Amino acid sequence: MRNYEIMFIVDPNAAEEEIDKINAQLESIITSGGGKVDKIEKMGKRRLAYEVDKHREGYYVLFVTSANGDIIKECERRLRVMDAVIKYITVRTDEEVRRLEKIKSYRQKRAARRSSGAPAAPAQSIEEAMQ
Amino acid sequence: MRSAKDKEKRPGGQKQYYRRKKVCKFCVERIDSINYKDVKLLSQFVPERAKIMPRRISGVCSHHQRRLNDAIKKARNIALLPFATE
Repeated sequence: MRNYEIMFIVDPNAAEEEIDKINAQLESIITSGGGKVDKIEKMGKRRLAYEVDKHREGYYVLFVTSANGDIIKECERRLRVMDAVIKYITVRTDEEVRRLEKIKSYRQKRAARRSSGAPAAPAQSIEEAMQ
Repeated sequence: MRSAKDKEKRPGGQKQYYRRKKVCKFCVERIDSINYKDVKLLSQFVPERAKIMPRRISGVCSHHQRRLNDAIKKARNIALLPFATE
């Protein structure tokens, strides 16, 4: 099981119900395949940085899921077929999250070591700035 | 950053430039995650022409420049950032 983020852009002229329908469809694909949907975030209408299929605006939706590659593949296939969806991207996030946790724990360990040791303040702050 | 350089006159008459040492924004401010959704952060590193700012100008360290590159390219893919401006 891996963590993924699926972000897609829906036609801004599409009705709110249509967006909900797409979300429900994707959710059912993921959950029926044994995956889990952690978050569905409607980011709302935004100006696109460049024109996509004659659209200057788009409605952004973000899915945060944990699922297998096969499920994600199916989701992507569905998104490609849907007419209302202009663009989509899937990003794998678990590696990044693990990396961040590692950095965080390292920082905490360092901070703990520093507060217990002799507080030679100025030298340490220089070292900190160089890092 | 270029404007930060100062002219100094040496006794020999030769001009000497003093350039401020550039520092990596991500190291200094302890920004760990460079996310493709964070347009505000990323747009600081894409000047007008929408090209990615080179390291020699922005001063970002190589580790963070690589992550920044990836993030900017992802953001371009989903139309959060432009590929080029007209």
